[in-house]
Amino acid sequence: MNFRSFLFPIAGFLLVLSFLLNLSLGSVSIPFGEIVRGLFTGVWEKTSWEQIILNYRLPKALVAICAGIGLSLSGLQMQTFFRNPLAGPFVLGISSGAGLGVSILMLAGTALGISLAGINSWAIATAGILGAALVLSGVSLVAWKVKDSMTLLIVGLMFGSAVSAVISVLSYFSGAEALKLFTVWSMGSLGALGWNQVLILGVLIGIGLVPVFLSVKSYNALLLGENYARSMGVRTQKMRWIMILSTGTLAGGITAFCGPIAFIGIAVPHIARMIWKTSDHALLFPGSALLGAILLLLCDAVGQLPGYSSTLPINAVTSLVGAPIVISLILRRNLSRDF
Amino acid sequence: MTDPKSIPALQGKSLQLGYLHQGVRKEILSDLNFDLYSGELTCLLGPNGVGKSTLIKAILGQIAPWKGELRLQGSPITLLSLEEMALKLAVVLTEPVFPGNMTVEQLVALGRTPHTGWSGRLQEKDREAVEKAISRTKIGYLRAERLSEISDGQRQKAMIARAIAQDGAVILLDEPTAHLDLVNRFEIMQLLREIAQEEQKAILVVTHDLEIAVETADQFWLMTCGNPLLTGSPEDLILSGKINQLLPSQKYQYSPKRGRLEVQEDIMEFPVQGPEDLVYWVQKALKKAKILGIPTEIRVKENPFSLEMNSRSFASLEEFIQFLKSNPRS
Repeated sequence: MNFRSFLFPIAGFLLVLSFLLNLSLGSVSIPFGEIVRGLFTGVWEKTSWEQIILNYRLPKALVAICAGIGLSLSGLQMQTFFRNPLAGPFVLGISSGAGLGVSILMLAGTALGISLAGINSWAIATAGILGAALVLSGVSLVAWKVKDSMTLLIVGLMFGSAVSAVISVLSYFSGAEALKLFTVWSMGSLGALGWNQVLILGVLIGIGLVPVFLSVKSYNALLLGENYARSMGVRTQKMRWIMILSTGTLAGGITAFCGPIAFIGIAVPHIARMIWKTSDHALLFPGSALLGAILLLLCDAVGQLPGYSSTLPINAVTSLVGAPIVISLILRRNLSRDF
Repeated sequence: MTDPKSIPALQGKSLQLGYLHQGVRKEILSDLNFDLYSGELTCLLGPNGVGKSTLIKAILGQIAPWKGELRLQGSPITLLSLEEMALKLAVVLTEPVFPGNMTVEQLVALGRTPHTGWSGRLQEKDREAVEKAISRTKIGYLRAERLSEISDGQRQKAMIARAIAQDGAVILLDEPTAHLDLVNRFEIMQLLREIAQEEQKAILVVTHDLEIAVETADQFWLMTCGNPLLTGSPEDLILSGKINQLLPSQKYQYSPKRGRLEVQEDIMEFPVQGPEDLVYWVQKALKKAKILGIPTEIRVKENPFSLEMNSRSFASLEEFIQFLKSNPRS
């Protein structure tokens, strides 16, 4: 037994801790003991507290956990498959795709006379999922044609740029009101979802995770490159589909419901590699999932600004908090050697 | 050594290989016949661009032969699934391996990929195979080291251990000794020879290291432009002079006496007397220095080395050549 065996219990404990911390922070201060008591016994001192915790903070914390897990695992799959430390969940243009769907709804929709008031979170999520699926099927068509995964990576990046350009054009011609709505969406938000939507997001994440855990062995073999993987009996073409579908469901679903959330997907796999000091996906998948959930819960807690009624947009917080952490970690160790 | 009745581990029958480039068929190799047997180390030699990589791709099943057949343990490669191939054939390729965080033991264990279930968890027999591969390649002292922290030669041994752990009948290595120092090149080839003999593997090594290959290989396959594949034991090929097929220009010849390549320049023999081994090196140094001729006879002595000309004595060849150059008329 070495210290690495204790890392998972420690990470699990930290997850519970950051979950409770996340619940206890917000514009209305609720005593920590009351939250724990209320959650376990169902008896609340004030009904307003019960309302706030059960209908706002709890779903938000669960969304943070789902998004943290989904984004980290998308990023890890992309990094291993493309053997590129800079790859992340959005390199294949998935977030731009979701953005396209949402921007068409908000920007072009208003131009066509749909009132902004009619746009609820369901409509946004649907538009996001449709947009992500559109770009994903484009990338898949290319993936079917090309043999080389580097080509696929470049094509994915190009798709992303092209789609972003379309969004820019739409933004340029749209009104101030719609533009602000879209800008706010693109800053990401974990809190806007009701229980039904949390449930659907949870199911999407669950579906996206199944192929991940079924292909631990193949991802390990892929660390040596596609040719070696094939020589060890791994069907790399099939793996490409698994990777596209899994990251599409995970990252696409999260972006559709929460807006783009940067940083987590690229950084968490690196942090997991540094902490677990391994390249074995049997450890890296659960490790990244735990770390991603913890990190997003903490970022959300930081964005709460205790005492103030407003919260900082999550996309800004993840990058603001995360970038310095990652830079300091990377400066201390040689990233490409660890990779 | 080879039982003529046994099935070759790998067999090529009137193979024709090539690519389709922009709709044009480009033939690379044709009418290729070979047998690779268990227990033997076979070296494939040939100049760059002759089609060795094409042959490797065909053996890996990445390109299908246009004509003829490639059989792995009796079954045509085109009919084998990727999983079945992985159980019969392991490879060490030229492409670099990246994961610096992986330990040597984890790398070797990856060789068990075709044998494990969906989770990749190692069973008892997988562990035994990994241990055997590690002890076979004598890298037990490296097992916990990370790939980023070991030398190129050690990493190559680990890759070979991974291929052994994969436990196929055939191991194919593409230039396993490139970029390695002299001692490591010998060690790796010697190691492959031991593995071929003791584990009864059929090992095919693509290499440019003619001298080391002559020392270690059981069989040579010589691939040259426009000629059929020439097979045979290295010694036979040397004695019959067929080895010189590898050397298209007349300038280089394989010297059976010295066991290596020599430059065949205009024969200019200098009048040197003394023990044969010493004379050889003196001749060589004088030729290299482009000395056109020496007026009188030279005598060389060994223990300690000395060189005498016109009753002048020199302790080293360098000193002697310096003298000749500064006194062209002496």
